[in-house]
Amino acid sequence: MKSKSIHTLSLLAMLFLFAACSVEPQAIPYGQANCTHCNMTISDNRYGAELVNDKGKAFFFDAAECLAAYVSEQPELQENASFVLVTDYTNPGNLIEVKNAHFLQSPKLPSPMGMNLTALADDLTAKQMEQKHGGTLLTWDQVLTAVQNDAKFH
Amino acid sequence: MLNFTKRLLQVAGTLLLPLSIQPVMANTLEVCKTCSYTSVKQAVQQAAPGDTVLVTGGTYQESGIEIKKPVHLLAQNKAVIDGNFTGQIITVMADDVTIEGFTLKNIATSYTRDDAAIRVLQRSNIRILNNTILNTYFGIYLQNSEDCVIKGNVVKGERGDKTESALANAIHLYYTDNVDISDNVVQGHRDGIYLEVVKNSKVHRNTSQDNQRYGLHFMFSNGNTYTYNIFRNNGAGVAVMYTDDVRMEHNTFENNWGAASYGLLLKDIRNSVIHNNTFRRNTTGIHMESSSRLDIKNNDFERNGWAIKLMTTCVDDTFRLNNFTGNSFDISTNGTSQQNHFENNYWEKYTGYDLDKDGIGDVPYLPVSLYSMLVERVPPAVMFMRSFMVDLMDNMEKVLPSIIPDQLVDNQPVMKRIDHGNDRKLAQVLRKTEGAPGRER
Repeated sequence: MKSKSIHTLSLLAMLFLFAACSVEPQAIPYGQANCTHCNMTISDNRYGAELVNDKGKAFFFDAAECLAAYVSEQPELQENASFVLVTDYTNPGNLIEVKNAHFLQSPKLPSPMGMNLTALADDLTAKQMEQKHGGTLLTWDQVLTAVQNDAKFH
Repeated sequence: MLNFTKRLLQVAGTLLLPLSIQPVMANTLEVCKTCSYTSVKQAVQQAAPGDTVLVTGGTYQESGIEIKKPVHLLAQNKAVIDGNFTGQIITVMADDVTIEGFTLKNIATSYTRDDAAIRVLQRSNIRILNNTILNTYFGIYLQNSEDCVIKGNVVKGERGDKTESALANAIHLYYTDNVDISDNVVQGHRDGIYLEVVKNSKVHRNTSQDNQRYGLHFMFSNGNTYTYNIFRNNGAGVAVMYTDDVRMEHNTFENNWGAASYGLLLKDIRNSVIHNNTFRRNTTGIHMESSSRLDIKNNDFERNGWAIKLMTTCVDDTFRLNNFTGNSFDISTNGTSQQNHFENNYWEKYTGYDLDKDGIGDVPYLPVSLYSMLVERVPPAVMFMRSFMVDLMDNMEKVLPSIIPDQLVDNQPVMKRIDHGNDRKLAQVLRKTEGAPGRER
């Protein structure tokens, strides 16, 4: 009896190990996962963000500002990460690398964590949205600085 | 003499009051199928400031009604405005507007426009009373406004198999102060009531249930009060985040059940009060993170998975006179450092004795079990629950604490379940024991 349970356990353990082997972005489980930084349920599919570390473990965030706050607190996480991703606002479900993303910060477009950050994949779309809604376009590094300097959200 | 003058002024005031609020020559514009006005929009456009637009029943296929004057929009006989998925139904663009008694329905999901049944933009003194709002994206949306009343409304979304992103909040307040939200029923939306940067507002006697995310959600909203609400069957009950000075009293948090579910989620909150609430059958009663100077008193924690998950980032929180009954875990934490204070709670799992019969247990109670620490670190370990080894481990650890935080302790556990309404006798006992020296270990 005992050896059988050990057998099952080791099988389970192996399953977990194999599941963790592939290092690739995972779809964000909206409505089920909680944000790694703020613990809020991730729900708005225009704003989800994700970090996949070098071992393939994915951390999910409800907004770009939460991802930024999390990696600001632990910079080594971003340095060692395989993927650091945000959602393209115009194409929910499509994850893009933060380094290639354009961030529009505009009070006309409130984001889940109050910093009004909208991530956009396309350069031209970003410029059009900026003209339409106002605000400023930021790079990821500027977003990190903005999050660090934000008083109400840290 | 002074008293007399005061009385005189009062009498004069009551006599003058009806005169001052009586609008000059207010008309009533009636809307029905056979009236001179057959559309609500038309009547609203024609109305002069102070007029009443009275809709006496029927269904109207309308949307884009813009209220630009202070009018009273009143529906009788369950009059319906059906937006027919053509956009926002009522937009309030004037101060002093009342919208009362309507049934508003059918608004499509719109990711770029955030359409609502009733939207208020940069206005004050708006009253939204006794409306029924069905199958909309946002229900009631107040933005950059103040001094509003949202009372007696029913807002129901069609949750069905929709994803959370296809739903928005039932009552949504954004940069809005001094709002009274009471006696509403909100269900089937993303958040039942959502407050972002809202100050000095009251949320009373609402029922928020079956919402996909939270029953009530605070973001950056200081100085608010919520009492006598029921939060049932939501993704999580209430989330209070990045907020100071909140009073949470006499609420019921129940059946918030699921892997990532809470009765109450506290993240980065300070100087707040949690009194006389009931947490019943939640996966986690309260999850607390980075929260300090909270007073948690006279609450009942019944049959939760975890009554309280207290992260080590919490400091200076006080837990007094709470009842912990039938929870799988009373308190769980993620580290050994503890700077919070537990006193005079009733713990059903307490096995100590009371030789001097003063109602206070003679040995301290350590509410964190070794097993709960293990589960916190290795969640799958929960499958060994109620096994013999776990009991053995827990009992050994209780005798010789080495892993569990021994500062997290109730030195004066109460022997009997606390009756919050009538604890005068207990108060006497506690006063007596406070005087007694050296109860510390």
